[in-house]
Amino acid sequence: MARKDFLDIASLTREEVEYLLEQAVPFKDLFTRSVKKVPALKGKSVLMLFYEPSTRTHSSFEVAAKRMSADVIDLDVPQSSVTKGETVKDTVDTLQAMRADYIVVRHEMSGMPLAIARQTKASVINAGDGAHAHPTQGLLDAFTFKEVFPETDGRKVLIVGDILHSRVARSTSMVMRKLGVEVAFLGPGSLVPRDGTEGMRRFTDYEEAMKWSPDVVYLLRVQMERQDAQFFPSLGEYHRVYGVTQERLERLADKGTYIMHPGPVNRGVELCHEVMDYERSLINRQVENGIAARMAVLFWLKPGTGSEPPMTTE
Amino acid sequence: MPIVLDEAQIAEAVASLAAQIKDAARGERIAIVGIRRRGDEVADRVCRLLREMGVDHVYGMLDISLYRDDLAHLAESPRLQGSEISFPVEGARIVIVDDVLFTGRTIRAALDALWDYGRPAKTELAVLIDRGHRELPIRPDFTGVNLKTARMDHVLVRLKITDGEDAVELVESS
Amino acid sequence: MNLILKGGEVAGEEGAPRRADVWVEDGVVKGVGEKIAAPDGVRVVDCAGKLVVPAMFDAHVHFREPGQEHKEDIAHGTEAAINGGVTGVVMMPNTNPAIDSAAVVRMVLEKAGEVSRIPVYTSGCITRNRAGAELAGIDGMRKLGVRMLTDDGDPVANPSVLMRAMEYASEFGMFFASHCEVAELSGPRALNLGRVSYQLGIKGSPACSEEICMDRDIRLAHAAGAHVHIQHVSSGIGMETIRFWKERGARVTAEVAPHHLMFNEDDIGEYDTNYKMNPPLRLAEDNAALLEGLKTGVFDQIATDHAPHSEFEKSQDFVTAPNGITGVETALVSLYDRFVRAGDFGWDLLVKRYSAEPRRLMGLDPVPVEEGKRAELLVFDPNGETTFSREFMKSKSVNTPFLDRTLQGRIEMVVAGDEILLER
Repeated sequence: MARKDFLDIASLTREEVEYLLEQAVPFKDLFTRSVKKVPALKGKSVLMLFYEPSTRTHSSFEVAAKRMSADVIDLDVPQSSVTKGETVKDTVDTLQAMRADYIVVRHEMSGMPLAIARQTKASVINAGDGAHAHPTQGLLDAFTFKEVFPETDGRKVLIVGDILHSRVARSTSMVMRKLGVEVAFLGPGSLVPRDGTEGMRRFTDYEEAMKWSPDVVYLLRVQMERQDAQFFPSLGEYHRVYGVTQERLERLADKGTYIMHPGPVNRGVELCHEVMDYERSLINRQVENGIAARMAVLFWLKPGTGSEPPMTTE
Repeated sequence: MPIVLDEAQIAEAVASLAAQIKDAARGERIAIVGIRRRGDEVADRVCRLLREMGVDHVYGMLDISLYRDDLAHLAESPRLQGSEISFPVEGARIVIVDDVLFTGRTIRAALDALWDYGRPAKTELAVLIDRGHRELPIRPDFTGVNLKTARMDHVLVRLKITDGEDAVELVESS
Repeated sequence: MNLILKGGEVAGEEGAPRRADVWVEDGVVKGVGEKIAAPDGVRVVDCAGKLVVPAMFDAHVHFREPGQEHKEDIAHGTEAAINGGVTGVVMMPNTNPAIDSAAVVRMVLEKAGEVSRIPVYTSGCITRNRAGAELAGIDGMRKLGVRMLTDDGDPVANPSVLMRAMEYASEFGMFFASHCEVAELSGPRALNLGRVSYQLGIKGSPACSEEICMDRDIRLAHAAGAHVHIQHVSSGIGMETIRFWKERGARVTAEVAPHHLMFNEDDIGEYDTNYKMNPPLRLAEDNAALLEGLKTGVFDQIATDHAPHSEFEKSQDFVTAPNGITGVETALVSLYDRFVRAGDFGWDLLVKRYSAEPRRLMGLDPVPVEEGKRAELLVFDPNGETTFSREFMKSKSVNTPFLDRTLQGRIEMVVAGDEILLER
């Protein structure tokens, strides 16, 4: 069951998901030791290829790789829209020269990690591509969820926010459903797609969604530029209609509902300020679990099991 | 396939290990650390006997998967079971327990793993079976049984909790 | 040249193929009959179990010359056409420079005269450099034989520009071909808005983007008294839009591309760029509706939108990779394999829609295999097979879902006038 790449949740079986979640537990146990490092990836190199800025995911992967004794190389690549002219071929040529064992890729274009994986022998890990997938986020969310709810089947997660543009929504809903968790989406009609979300409930009204009684309310980060594109009228209106306001937080507390968020939180938009003291917030635990989940992924993959990069005919 | 040790002989070897450890302990508290898998089951049995004999001891388990020197050569990464070391390793008197001592590589990994928990005062090694053919300068302090084998032979240990029965088989290389 | 195609069945626009021998002499069909005795010295080709079919005509190809010869050029494009049983093509004008003036038309036609073994027609731009603002040099292009005006690759975004062009050029007997989409709706990515665009995380283009523009262009043509030809219709509602306007008597014709009949968004799988084109592949129900439209005559013709791109370009990520797939080489065999063999339609439809009607659209005579007509035909072996390998294909590019696939049916021979263009 070894694999070369970790590109999405969709291609994983439930057994593989469960396996990775089990593997993550002993990795997390290491964090309580005085020496948090193990030599499992000694002599291996992990290349960080972040075409989009990211503090959390980048440092989480970096810590994960270093705790496994790998060498971490940060490739200085142009970020954001400057990369439009960048082709896979250019990138792969650079990568071949670096002889990395693992490549962690974040790119604004959906499908870019797959395109790279097809052309390199290194193990490629998708650290987020466009609106397509963020599979290690999905895994760490499932890990966090399973710590609170060891029996996942039949539990309920409500994912709130910009589903349309969110790779987190895609990967996290997918991994949860693989574990038998019921998933529903809540957000403005312009940001919750109708197609592709079959098998999931679709709410556009907060109160309706709460009647569904989710065990976890998973809030997505609102991208500020969406407001400019008129997906909703204003941030204030968004907070009033879809945000967890102080009054809503109190009701969540009464029902014992947990809160998750991939971070960083826009306080006052998707969540009120008081959430920082909310006792059933799993947000900080998600960060810690992210390292363990990513260590489990790094340990699972087997670089070099793919085919030779194809020759271009030109 | 030839059974070289049956249930009674295994029990005898475990008893011998426990007796040797007791003698060496000289009344000091010792820490028994079994290597997963099967080393922990042997260690568990040794601990039961030590308890009966009133020897002061603590018990832990070590998963050495992340410390193996052959990870890159495996087709699949090993399934992790995790270590359970709930006592302070720093300054402890430790006896590492494993089922079979062969090349010594597992013990090397176990020492590395243990050291990441702290620096013991003394570390000793107890093995149920020593089958020879060492590739590292490692020797057991306590041995249940010495078994003569060829380099390419396989020694298959089956223990009740892990495998359902107690038996040791020697499969000779053809 | 003098030959007898013996023992085969002759296909035409009407009815099932009929058993007949065909005698071709000096580029003309000299006789079609049950049994033609071969005079001495006449070459006899055994066509038992095979079909003798009028050669095809593709009114929508991108041959990329001038400007993008690394993808395709007229020499390779026309050889690819012959390889697919096609003996006449209409080039699209989105070259670089665009075919928007007499000078560029002349250059293209001269080049075709030098390198091509089949007639090459070209369309001309509606607006200069396809920019949607100023009208192209319409009269100069008309004098060189251009009949079809299109900014293909893009719509004319401003309806008033398009309407004026229609009012102006219709007087010259020219017609308009429309690539339909509303840019603000469809965005930059060629992927249907729906389940697959959600799963792949790429902004999708809704079918209504195409349908709105189609409806707009037909209404504009109707108001301007122009003939508009709707290119590569991809959706069921698009098909119904054309049917609606045809029933109202609008001067509208339309084409459907083989890939929109055969494939849908599910075929994209994990970002397979050989299923990326504009308009995008839609749903299985659209496949069915388009097939229905083809069978009921809503679509006048089949055209491939042959759009070559280099392997390097298509090996990029799905978002970056350019739109389009090749088709002129694979159309006939794949249509046979997929539809004729399954009984969805017969050879009569194939001949009518991929040979006769596109010629009529361009003001040309169809090429039925009939006594006294110019010989322009192909021999097709329904029991043969074709493997679309790199070696087999003559196009400069191999961006087709059929690459390295083997399909049922094989073009054995292509004859045009006095020349055997292809013989396997």
